[in-house]
Amino acid sequence: MLRRRSYSVYTLSIILLFLFAVAMPAGATSDTERIERLERELKELKKGVAEAEAEGEEVRHKLGLIGRAVDVSGYADVELILTDQKEQNNRFRVRHLSLFFTKEIVKGWKLFTEIEYEDAPLFRANTGADTVNTAQGDVYVEQMYVEYRRSLDLDFRVGRVLTPAGIWSIYHYPPYVPTQSNPIMYKLLFPKVSDGLQVRKSFTINDSPLDTHLYVANGAGNPGRLDRNGNKAIGGRINYSIDLLDGLDLGGSFYGERDNDDIRRATYGAHLLLNLDRLSLQSEYAVRHNSPPGSGTDYDDKGLYAQLTYHKDRWGFTGRYDWFDENNTLSTGDRYRYTGAVNYNIAHNLVGKAELSRNNFDDPATDDYNELIFAIVVAIGDL
Amino acid sequence: MRPRSAVKVLLLALLLFAVPVSYGAAEESVVVIVNSSNSIESVSTSYIKKLYKNRLLKWPSGVPVTLYDLAEEDPVREVFSKAVLGKPSYRVAERWAHLKITNQAKNPPFTMKSQSLIIRRVSREKGAIGYVLRGSVKDNSSVRIVSTIR
Repeated sequence: MLRRRSYSVYTLSIILLFLFAVAMPAGATSDTERIERLERELKELKKGVAEAEAEGEEVRHKLGLIGRAVDVSGYADVELILTDQKEQNNRFRVRHLSLFFTKEIVKGWKLFTEIEYEDAPLFRANTGADTVNTAQGDVYVEQMYVEYRRSLDLDFRVGRVLTPAGIWSIYHYPPYVPTQSNPIMYKLLFPKVSDGLQVRKSFTINDSPLDTHLYVANGAGNPGRLDRNGNKAIGGRINYSIDLLDGLDLGGSFYGERDNDDIRRATYGAHLLLNLDRLSLQSEYAVRHNSPPGSGTDYDDKGLYAQLTYHKDRWGFTGRYDWFDENNTLSTGDRYRYTGAVNYNIAHNLVGKAELSRNNFDDPATDDYNELIFAIVVAIGDL
Repeated sequence: MRPRSAVKVLLLALLLFAVPVSYGAAEESVVVIVNSSNSIESVSTSYIKKLYKNRLLKWPSGVPVTLYDLAEEDPVREVFSKAVLGKPSYRVAERWAHLKITNQAKNPPFTMKSQSLIIRRVSREKGAIGYVLRGSVKDNSSVRIVSTIR
Protein backbone atom coordinates (compact mmCIF):
# COMPACT_ATOMS: atom_id res chain seq x y z
CA MET A 1 0.00 0.00 0.00
CA LEU A 2 2.76 2.38 1.07
CA ARG A 3 4.98 1.30 -1.86
CA ARG A 4 2.10 1.90 -4.32
CA ARG A 5 1.52 5.39 -2.88
CA SER A 6 5.26 6.23 -3.21
CA TYR A 7 5.17 5.01 -6.80
CA SER A 8 2.23 7.34 -7.50
CA VAL A 9 4.06 10.29 -5.96
CA TYR A 10 7.18 9.63 -8.08
CA THR A 11 5.06 9.32 -11.25
CA LEU A 12 3.21 12.54 -10.49
CA SER A 13 6.47 14.36 -9.77
CA ILE A 14 7.98 13.24 -13.08
CA ILE A 15 4.88 14.38 -14.98
CA LEU A 16 4.93 17.78 -13.25
CA LEU A 17 8.66 18.21 -13.91
CA PHE A 18 8.09 17.34 -17.56
CA LEU A 19 5.27 19.86 -17.88
CA PHE A 20 7.34 22.52 -16.09
CA ALA A 21 10.30 21.84 -18.35
CA VAL A 22 8.18 22.10 -21.48
CA ALA A 23 6.55 25.32 -20.34
CA MET A 24 9.85 26.86 -19.10
CA PRO A 25 11.52 28.19 -22.30
CA ALA A 26 8.75 30.62 -23.20
CA GLY A 27 8.49 32.01 -19.65
CA ALA A 28 12.24 32.10 -19.22
CA THR A 29 12.69 33.98 -22.44
CA SER A 30 10.19 36.66 -21.51
CA ASP A 31 11.74 36.94 -18.04
CA THR A 32 15.21 37.24 -19.53
CA GLU A 33 14.02 39.96 -21.88
CA ARG A 34 12.36 41.79 -19.02
CA ILE A 35 15.51 41.56 -16.89
CA GLU A 36 17.64 42.80 -19.77
CA ARG A 37 15.28 45.70 -20.37
CA LEU A 38 15.30 46.57 -16.66
CA GLU A 39 19.09 46.37 -16.61
CA ARG A 40 19.28 48.75 -19.57
CA GLU A 41 16.90 51.14 -17.86
CA LEU A 42 18.88 50.90 -14.62
CA LYS A 43 22.10 51.63 -16.49
CA GLU A 44 20.56 54.68 -18.14
CA LEU A 45 19.23 55.86 -14.80
CA LYS A 46 22.66 55.40 -13.17
CA LYS A 47 24.26 57.31 -16.02
CA GLY A 48 21.73 60.10 -15.58
CA VAL A 49 22.33 60.26 -11.83
CA ALA A 50 26.13 60.36 -12.35
CA GLU A 51 25.74 63.14 -14.94
CA ALA A 52 23.47 65.10 -12.60
CA GLU A 53 25.95 64.62 -9.73
CA ALA A 54 28.84 65.77 -11.93
CA GLU A 55 26.84 68.76 -13.12
CA GLY A 56 26.01 69.68 -9.52
CA GLU A 57 29.63 69.30 -8.43
CA GLU A 58 30.83 71.43 -11.30
CA VAL A 59 28.39 74.18 -10.41
CA ARG A 60 29.49 73.99 -6.77
CA HIS A 61 33.14 74.03 -7.91
CA LYS A 62 32.54 77.14 -10.02
CA LEU A 63 30.61 78.81 -7.22
CA GLY A 64 33.43 77.91 -4.88
CA LEU A 65 35.96 79.52 -7.21
CA ILE A 66 33.83 82.62 -7.45
CA GLY A 67 33.34 82.60 -3.69
CA ARG A 68 37.06 82.29 -3.17
CA ALA A 69 37.93 85.51 -4.94
CA VAL A 70 41.16 85.47 -2.92
CA ASP A 71 42.68 82.16 -1.86
CA VAL A 72 43.84 82.13 1.73
CA SER A 73 46.32 79.58 2.98
CA GLY A 74 49.33 79.46 5.27
CA TYR A 75 50.59 77.76 8.40
CA ALA A 76 50.91 78.17 12.15
CA ASP A 77 52.96 76.52 14.87
CA VAL A 78 53.33 76.55 18.63
CA GLU A 79 56.40 75.31 20.49
CA LEU A 80 57.45 74.32 23.97
CA ILE A 81 61.18 74.96 24.33
CA LEU A 82 63.28 73.47 27.12
CA THR A 83 66.83 74.75 27.13
CA ASP A 84 69.96 75.03 29.25
CA GLN A 85 71.24 77.98 27.24
CA LYS A 86 72.52 80.84 29.40
CA GLU A 87 70.02 83.65 30.02
CA GLN A 88 67.23 81.73 28.32
CA ASN A 89 64.16 80.31 30.04
CA ASN A 90 62.10 77.27 29.31
CA ARG A 91 59.12 78.71 27.49
CA PHE A 92 56.15 78.36 25.19
CA ARG A 93 56.55 80.12 21.89
CA VAL A 94 53.65 81.07 19.64
CA ARG A 95 56.12 81.11 16.81
CA HIS A 96 54.52 81.55 13.39
CA LEU A 97 51.22 82.64 11.99
CA SER A 98 51.89 82.99 8.32
CA LEU A 99 49.06 83.95 5.99
CA PHE A 100 49.24 83.58 2.23
CA PHE A 101 46.86 85.45 -0.04
CA THR A 102 46.71 84.46 -3.69
CA LYS A 103 44.64 86.23 -6.26
CA GLU A 104 44.32 85.09 -9.86
CA ILE A 105 43.98 88.44 -11.62
CA VAL A 106 43.41 87.21 -15.17
CA LYS A 107 44.50 84.01 -16.86
CA GLY A 108 48.27 83.65 -16.40
CA TRP A 109 48.61 86.58 -13.96
CA LYS A 110 48.48 86.30 -10.21
CA LEU A 111 49.36 88.20 -7.08
CA PHE A 112 50.89 86.32 -4.16
CA THR A 113 51.57 87.73 -0.71
CA GLU A 114 52.84 86.16 2.49
CA ILE A 115 52.37 88.10 5.69
CA GLU A 116 54.18 86.65 8.64
CA TYR A 117 53.37 87.27 12.27
CA GLU A 118 56.18 85.93 14.39
CA ASP A 119 55.96 85.54 18.18
CA ALA A 120 52.33 86.74 18.31
CA PRO A 121 53.18 90.42 17.86
CA LEU A 122 51.62 93.21 19.84
CA PHE A 123 51.94 96.85 18.90
CA ARG A 124 50.35 99.39 21.21
CA ALA A 125 50.29 103.14 20.68
CA ASN A 126 50.06 105.90 23.26
CA THR A 127 46.57 107.30 23.49
CA GLY A 128 46.45 110.57 21.59
CA ALA A 129 49.80 109.99 19.93
CA ASP A 130 50.95 108.09 16.85
CA THR A 131 54.10 106.70 18.43
CA VAL A 132 54.30 103.05 19.29
CA ASN A 133 54.54 102.64 23.03
CA THR A 134 55.34 98.95 23.20
CA ALA A 135 56.09 96.33 20.60
CA GLN A 136 56.92 92.66 20.70
CA GLY A 137 57.22 90.10 17.93
CA ASP A 138 57.52 90.81 14.23
CA VAL A 139 55.14 91.51 11.40
CA TYR A 140 56.61 91.50 7.95
CA VAL A 141 55.90 90.89 4.33
CA GLU A 142 57.93 87.79 3.60
CA GLN A 143 56.83 87.61 -0.01
CA MET A 144 54.86 89.82 -2.34
CA TYR A 145 55.09 89.41 -6.04
CA VAL A 146 53.15 89.54 -9.26
CA GLU A 147 53.58 86.44 -11.37
CA TYR A 148 53.10 86.07 -15.07
CA ARG A 149 52.95 82.45 -16.13
CA ARG A 150 53.72 82.23 -19.83
CA SER A 151 53.42 78.42 -19.89
CA LEU A 152 53.75 75.48 -17.52
CA ASP A 153 57.53 75.67 -17.84
CA LEU A 154 58.12 79.42 -17.89
CA ASP A 155 57.10 82.16 -15.48
CA PHE A 156 58.23 85.60 -14.34
CA ARG A 157 57.95 87.03 -10.84
CA VAL A 158 58.50 90.62 -9.88
CA GLY A 159 58.46 91.82 -6.28
CA ARG A 160 59.80 90.09 -3.17
CA VAL A 161 60.55 86.37 -3.48
CA LEU A 162 62.27 83.79 -1.33
CA THR A 163 65.81 83.70 -2.65
CA PRO A 164 66.01 80.62 -4.83
CA ALA A 165 69.14 78.95 -3.49
CA GLY A 166 69.78 75.34 -2.55
CA ILE A 167 66.87 73.50 -0.93
CA TRP A 168 66.12 74.96 2.50
CA SER A 169 65.87 78.57 1.28
CA ILE A 170 62.81 77.55 -0.75
CA TYR A 171 61.48 74.45 1.00
CA HIS A 172 61.55 75.43 4.67
CA TYR A 173 57.92 75.73 5.79
CA PRO A 174 57.47 74.02 9.18
CA PRO A 175 54.59 71.67 8.22
CA TYR A 176 56.81 70.04 5.61
CA VAL A 177 60.29 69.99 7.12
CA PRO A 178 61.28 67.61 9.93
CA THR A 179 62.79 70.17 12.32
CA GLN A 180 61.65 73.45 13.81
CA SER A 181 65.19 74.75 13.92
CA ASN A 182 66.70 75.73 10.59
CA PRO A 183 70.17 74.62 9.49
CA ILE A 184 72.70 77.14 10.82
CA MET A 185 73.78 78.20 7.32
CA TYR A 186 70.21 79.17 6.32
CA LYS A 187 69.99 82.95 5.70
CA LEU A 188 73.69 83.48 6.57
CA LEU A 189 75.20 82.79 3.14
CA PHE A 190 72.33 83.44 0.75
CA PRO A 191 69.82 86.16 1.77
CA LYS A 192 66.40 84.99 2.90
CA VAL A 193 64.46 87.17 0.44
CA SER A 194 65.25 89.16 -2.67
CA ASP A 195 63.45 92.20 -4.03
CA GLY A 196 63.64 92.18 -7.80
CA LEU A 197 62.78 90.20 -10.93
CA GLN A 198 62.98 86.43 -11.24
CA VAL A 199 62.59 84.12 -14.23
CA ARG A 200 61.86 80.41 -13.83
CA LYS A 201 62.33 78.10 -16.78
CA SER A 202 62.20 74.30 -16.94
CA PHE A 203 63.83 72.19 -19.60
CA THR A 204 63.31 68.49 -20.18
CA ILE A 205 66.43 66.43 -20.71
CA ASN A 206 66.05 62.66 -21.12
CA ASP A 207 62.52 62.83 -19.71
CA SER A 208 63.88 64.54 -16.57
CA PRO A 209 63.36 68.19 -15.68
CA LEU A 210 66.15 70.72 -15.38
CA ASP A 211 64.68 73.63 -13.42
CA THR A 212 66.39 76.99 -13.52
CA HIS A 213 65.93 80.27 -11.65
CA LEU A 214 67.62 83.48 -12.68
CA TYR A 215 67.12 86.78 -10.87
CA VAL A 216 68.30 90.31 -10.41
CA ALA A 217 67.65 92.03 -7.06
CA ASN A 218 68.53 95.00 -4.89
CA GLY A 219 70.79 92.84 -2.76
CA ALA A 220 70.86 91.67 0.84
CA GLY A 221 70.07 94.34 3.42
CA ASN A 222 68.06 96.46 1.00
CA PRO A 223 64.45 95.81 1.86
CA GLY A 224 61.46 97.58 0.38
CA ARG A 225 62.24 101.06 -0.90
CA LEU A 226 65.68 101.08 0.72
CA ASP A 227 68.19 100.42 -2.03
CA ARG A 228 71.29 101.78 -0.34
CA ASN A 229 73.58 101.54 -3.32
CA GLY A 230 73.29 101.53 -7.08
CA ASN A 231 74.57 97.97 -7.42
CA LYS A 232 72.31 95.10 -8.21
CA ALA A 233 72.72 91.53 -7.05
CA ILE A 234 72.40 88.68 -9.50
CA GLY A 235 71.72 85.06 -8.72
CA GLY A 236 70.71 81.76 -10.18
CA ARG A 237 69.86 78.21 -9.31
CA ILE A 238 69.71 74.98 -11.30
CA ASN A 239 68.24 71.69 -10.20
CA TYR A 240 68.24 68.47 -12.17
CA SER A 241 65.80 65.75 -11.09
CA ILE A 242 67.00 62.35 -12.18
CA ASP A 243 64.76 59.30 -12.21
CA LEU A 244 67.31 57.27 -10.28
CA LEU A 245 66.40 55.10 -7.29
CA ASP A 246 63.28 56.85 -5.92
CA GLY A 247 64.40 60.26 -7.13
CA LEU A 248 67.69 62.11 -7.10
CA ASP A 249 67.92 65.91 -7.25
CA LEU A 250 71.26 67.58 -7.84
CA GLY A 251 71.86 71.27 -8.19
CA GLY A 252 73.86 74.40 -7.67
CA SER A 253 73.27 78.06 -6.77
CA PHE A 254 75.07 81.36 -7.19
CA TYR A 255 74.59 84.81 -5.68
CA GLY A 256 76.80 87.84 -6.26
CA GLU A 257 76.61 91.42 -5.04
CA ARG A 258 78.54 94.40 -3.76
CA ASP A 259 76.88 95.10 -0.42
CA ASN A 260 76.17 98.36 1.42
CA ASP A 261 79.67 98.32 3.00
CA ASP A 262 81.15 97.95 -0.48
CA ILE A 263 82.25 94.38 0.22
CA ARG A 264 82.08 92.22 -2.89
CA ARG A 265 80.42 88.93 -1.99
CA ALA A 266 80.11 85.87 -4.17
CA THR A 267 78.30 82.80 -2.85
CA TYR A 268 78.35 79.35 -4.46
CA GLY A 269 76.32 76.40 -3.26
CA ALA A 270 75.68 72.77 -4.11
CA HIS A 271 72.73 70.64 -3.00
CA LEU A 272 71.58 67.07 -3.12
CA LEU A 273 68.30 65.30 -2.34
CA LEU A 274 68.12 61.54 -2.60
CA ASN A 275 65.08 59.36 -1.94
CA LEU A 276 65.46 55.65 -1.53
CA ASP A 277 62.41 53.73 -0.39
CA ARG A 278 61.78 54.98 3.18
CA LEU A 279 64.99 56.99 3.40
CA SER A 280 65.67 60.51 2.24
CA LEU A 281 69.00 62.27 2.37
CA GLN A 282 69.22 66.04 2.01
CA SER A 283 72.43 68.00 2.05
CA GLU A 284 73.72 71.45 1.17
CA TYR A 285 77.12 73.07 1.12
CA ALA A 286 77.83 76.73 0.41
CA VAL A 287 80.79 79.05 0.56
CA ARG A 288 80.78 82.82 0.38
CA HIS A 289 83.90 84.65 -0.70
CA ASN A 290 84.12 88.16 0.76
CA SER A 291 86.40 90.83 -0.71
CA PRO A 292 86.49 94.01 1.39
CA PRO A 293 87.46 97.23 -0.38
CA GLY A 294 90.95 98.72 -0.13
CA SER A 295 93.57 96.75 1.74
CA GLY A 296 91.14 94.51 3.62
CA THR A 297 91.91 90.76 3.60
CA ASP A 298 89.61 88.44 1.72
CA TYR A 299 87.90 85.74 3.76
CA ASP A 300 85.35 82.95 3.34
CA ASP A 301 82.21 81.96 5.24
CA LYS A 302 81.21 78.32 4.84
CA GLY A 303 78.30 76.13 5.84
CA LEU A 304 77.18 72.55 5.50
CA TYR A 305 74.37 70.34 6.70
CA ALA A 306 73.45 66.73 6.01
CA GLN A 307 70.05 65.41 7.04
CA LEU A 308 68.84 61.82 6.91
CA THR A 309 65.18 60.93 7.44
CA TYR A 310 63.58 57.51 7.78
CA HIS A 311 59.84 57.37 7.05
CA LYS A 312 57.71 54.68 8.61
CA ASP A 313 53.99 55.05 7.96
CA ARG A 314 53.09 58.40 9.52
CA TRP A 315 56.32 58.61 11.51
CA GLY A 316 59.51 60.32 10.46
CA PHE A 317 62.86 59.94 12.26
CA THR A 318 65.53 62.49 11.39
CA GLY A 319 69.15 63.09 12.23
CA ARG A 320 71.03 66.18 11.06
CA TYR A 321 74.59 67.41 11.26
CA ASP A 322 75.22 71.15 10.94
CA TRP A 323 78.42 73.10 10.60
CA PHE A 324 79.05 76.76 9.99
CA ASP A 325 82.36 78.61 9.82
CA GLU A 326 82.07 82.37 10.01
CA ASN A 327 85.28 83.85 8.62
CA ASN A 328 87.82 81.14 7.89
CA THR A 329 90.72 83.37 8.91
CA LEU A 330 89.59 83.12 12.54
CA SER A 331 90.11 79.94 14.52
CA THR A 332 87.09 80.44 16.76
CA GLY A 333 84.35 81.00 14.19
CA ASP A 334 83.12 77.40 13.89
CA ARG A 335 79.73 76.30 15.21
CA TYR A 336 78.23 72.80 15.20
CA ARG A 337 74.77 71.44 15.83
CA TYR A 338 73.63 67.82 16.15
CA THR A 339 69.88 67.37 15.89
CA GLY A 340 67.60 64.37 16.32
CA ALA A 341 63.87 64.73 15.58
CA VAL A 342 60.74 62.62 15.58
CA ASN A 343 57.68 63.67 13.55
CA TYR A 344 54.21 62.22 13.57
CA ASN A 345 51.90 63.24 10.71
CA ILE A 346 48.37 63.23 12.07
CA ALA A 347 47.35 64.29 8.55
CA HIS A 348 49.31 65.66 5.62
CA ASN A 349 48.68 69.18 6.97
CA LEU A 350 49.00 68.51 10.71
CA VAL A 351 52.19 67.31 12.37
CA GLY A 352 53.54 66.86 15.87
CA LYS A 353 57.30 67.19 16.40
CA ALA A 354 59.86 66.49 19.09
CA GLU A 355 63.43 67.59 18.52
CA LEU A 356 66.62 67.53 20.57
CA SER A 357 69.72 69.47 19.57
CA ARG A 358 73.22 69.88 20.89
CA ASN A 359 74.94 73.17 20.00
CA ASN A 360 78.74 73.46 20.20
CA PHE A 361 80.95 76.51 19.66
CA ASP A 362 84.69 76.77 19.06
CA ASP A 363 84.60 80.26 20.57
CA PRO A 364 85.44 79.82 24.28
CA ALA A 365 83.35 82.88 25.09
CA THR A 366 80.17 81.09 24.01
CA ASP A 367 78.82 78.22 26.08
CA ASP A 368 77.58 75.03 24.47
CA TYR A 369 73.93 74.26 25.14
CA ASN A 370 71.17 71.74 24.58
CA GLU A 371 67.63 72.41 23.46
CA LEU A 372 64.50 70.28 23.41
CA ILE A 373 61.55 71.47 21.32
CA PHE A 374 58.04 70.07 21.18
CA ALA A 375 55.84 71.55 18.48
CA ILE A 376 52.46 71.25 16.85
CA VAL A 377 52.32 72.57 13.32
CA VAL A 378 49.37 73.04 11.02
CA ALA A 379 49.04 74.07 7.37
CA ILE A 380 45.83 75.75 6.31
CA GLY A 381 44.05 76.32 3.03
CA ASP A 382 43.57 74.39 -0.16
CA LEU A 383 46.98 72.73 -0.41
CA MET B 1 24.45 13.80 7.05
CA ARG B 2 26.60 14.37 10.15
CA PRO B 3 26.43 17.81 11.80
CA ARG B 4 30.12 18.47 11.04
CA SER B 5 29.66 17.68 7.36
CA ALA B 6 26.59 19.89 7.27
CA VAL B 7 28.63 22.78 8.69
CA LYS B 8 31.31 22.19 6.06
CA VAL B 9 28.76 22.21 3.26
CA LEU B 10 27.18 25.35 4.66
CA LEU B 11 30.57 27.11 4.90
CA LEU B 12 31.44 26.04 1.37
CA ALA B 13 28.11 27.36 0.09
CA LEU B 14 28.67 30.68 1.92
CA LEU B 15 32.19 30.91 0.52
CA LEU B 16 31.03 30.23 -3.03
CA PHE B 17 28.32 32.82 -2.63
CA ALA B 18 30.46 35.46 -0.89
CA VAL B 19 33.75 35.30 -2.81
CA PRO B 20 32.52 36.46 -6.22
CA VAL B 21 30.64 39.35 -4.62
CA SER B 22 33.61 40.73 -2.63
CA TYR B 23 36.04 40.06 -5.47
CA GLY B 24 33.89 42.03 -7.85
CA ALA B 25 33.67 45.02 -5.52
CA ALA B 26 37.30 45.19 -4.51
CA GLU B 27 39.01 44.12 -7.69
CA GLU B 28 37.38 46.25 -10.36
CA SER B 29 40.13 47.63 -12.56
CA VAL B 30 41.38 51.18 -12.16
CA VAL B 31 42.01 52.63 -15.60
CA VAL B 32 43.80 55.75 -16.80
CA ILE B 33 41.81 57.83 -19.28
CA VAL B 34 42.64 60.62 -21.69
CA ASN B 35 40.56 62.73 -24.04
CA SER B 36 39.53 60.80 -27.15
CA SER B 37 41.25 63.39 -29.37
CA ASN B 38 44.62 62.55 -27.76
CA SER B 39 46.67 60.59 -30.30
CA ILE B 40 48.24 58.45 -27.56
CA GLU B 41 46.88 54.90 -27.73
CA SER B 42 48.48 53.50 -24.59
CA VAL B 43 50.97 54.64 -21.97
CA SER B 44 53.20 52.79 -19.55
CA THR B 45 52.99 53.12 -15.77
CA SER B 46 56.37 54.88 -15.72
CA TYR B 47 55.11 57.44 -18.25
CA ILE B 48 52.04 58.14 -16.10
CA LYS B 49 54.34 58.51 -13.09
CA LYS B 50 56.40 61.09 -14.98
CA LEU B 51 53.25 63.05 -15.79
CA TYR B 52 51.94 62.93 -12.21
CA LYS B 53 55.35 63.92 -10.84
CA ASN B 54 55.58 66.88 -13.27
CA ARG B 55 58.67 65.43 -14.90
CA LEU B 56 56.79 65.82 -18.17
CA LEU B 57 54.50 68.81 -18.66
CA LYS B 58 53.38 68.27 -22.26
CA TRP B 59 52.12 65.42 -24.41
CA PRO B 60 54.31 64.42 -27.37
CA SER B 61 51.97 66.52 -29.54
CA GLY B 62 52.94 69.62 -27.51
CA VAL B 63 49.57 69.97 -25.79
CA PRO B 64 50.00 70.88 -22.07
CA VAL B 65 49.02 68.12 -19.66
CA THR B 66 46.15 68.72 -17.23
CA LEU B 67 46.20 66.27 -14.33
CA TYR B 68 43.17 65.11 -12.40
CA ASP B 69 43.21 63.41 -9.02
CA LEU B 70 40.57 62.09 -6.65
CA ALA B 71 40.35 63.23 -3.02
CA GLU B 72 43.11 62.03 -0.71
CA GLU B 73 40.80 59.66 1.17
CA ASP B 74 39.27 58.07 -1.95
CA PRO B 75 40.15 54.33 -2.13
CA VAL B 76 40.62 54.53 -5.91
CA ARG B 77 43.28 57.22 -5.41
CA GLU B 78 45.00 55.01 -2.85
CA VAL B 79 45.20 52.21 -5.43
CA PHE B 80 46.52 54.64 -8.07
CA SER B 81 49.05 56.27 -5.72
CA LYS B 82 50.52 53.00 -4.53
CA ALA B 83 50.57 51.32 -7.94
CA VAL B 84 51.82 54.25 -10.01
CA LEU B 85 53.62 56.62 -7.66
CA GLY B 86 54.79 53.99 -5.20
CA LYS B 87 53.56 55.90 -2.16
CA PRO B 88 50.35 56.06 -0.09
CA SER B 89 48.09 58.91 -1.16
CA TYR B 90 48.62 60.96 2.02
CA ARG B 91 52.37 61.10 1.31
CA VAL B 92 51.71 62.19 -2.26
CA ALA B 93 49.25 64.82 -0.97
CA GLU B 94 51.90 66.00 1.49
CA ARG B 95 54.43 66.42 -1.32
CA TRP B 96 51.99 68.47 -3.40
CA ALA B 97 51.07 70.59 -0.39
CA HIS B 98 54.78 71.28 0.15
CA LEU B 99 55.25 72.31 -3.48
CA LYS B 100 52.10 74.42 -3.45
CA ILE B 101 52.84 76.20 -0.17
CA THR B 102 56.27 77.13 -1.54
CA ASN B 103 54.79 78.13 -4.90
CA GLN B 104 57.12 75.76 -6.70
CA ALA B 105 54.50 73.39 -8.13
CA LYS B 106 54.64 73.57 -11.89
CA ASN B 107 51.51 71.67 -12.82
CA PRO B 108 49.68 70.35 -9.75
CA PRO B 109 46.73 68.02 -10.28
CA PHE B 110 43.18 69.29 -9.83
CA THR B 111 41.46 67.32 -7.10
CA MET B 112 37.93 66.24 -8.00
CA LYS B 113 35.31 64.91 -5.64
CA SER B 114 34.04 62.14 -7.91
CA GLN B 115 34.97 59.96 -10.83
CA SER B 116 32.02 61.35 -12.83
CA LEU B 117 33.57 64.79 -12.61
CA ILE B 118 36.95 63.50 -13.74
CA ILE B 119 35.33 61.79 -16.72
CA ARG B 120 33.45 64.96 -17.53
CA ARG B 121 36.61 67.09 -17.42
CA VAL B 122 38.74 64.59 -19.35
CA SER B 123 36.06 64.28 -22.03
CA ARG B 124 36.11 68.09 -22.48
CA GLU B 125 39.82 68.96 -22.22
CA LYS B 126 42.27 67.95 -24.90
CA GLY B 127 45.31 67.52 -22.65
CA ALA B 128 43.53 66.01 -19.65
CA ILE B 129 44.39 62.75 -17.94
CA GLY B 130 42.70 61.07 -15.00
CA TYR B 131 41.97 57.69 -13.46
CA VAL B 132 38.66 56.01 -12.64
CA LEU B 133 37.12 52.57 -12.20
CA ARG B 134 36.73 50.76 -15.52
CA GLY B 135 32.98 50.34 -15.08
CA SER B 136 32.41 54.07 -14.94
CA VAL B 137 33.74 54.68 -18.47
CA LYS B 138 32.20 51.66 -20.19
CA ASP B 139 30.72 52.71 -23.57
CA ASN B 140 31.98 56.29 -23.16
CA SER B 141 33.38 57.36 -26.54
CA SER B 142 34.60 60.80 -25.42
CA VAL B 143 37.45 59.34 -23.36
CA ARG B 144 40.00 56.65 -24.13
CA ILE B 145 41.48 54.10 -21.75
CA VAL B 146 45.25 54.20 -22.17
CA SER B 147 46.33 52.04 -19.26
CA THR B 148 44.94 49.56 -16.78
CA ILE B 149 46.43 49.94 -13.34
CA ARG B 150 45.04 46.79 -11.78
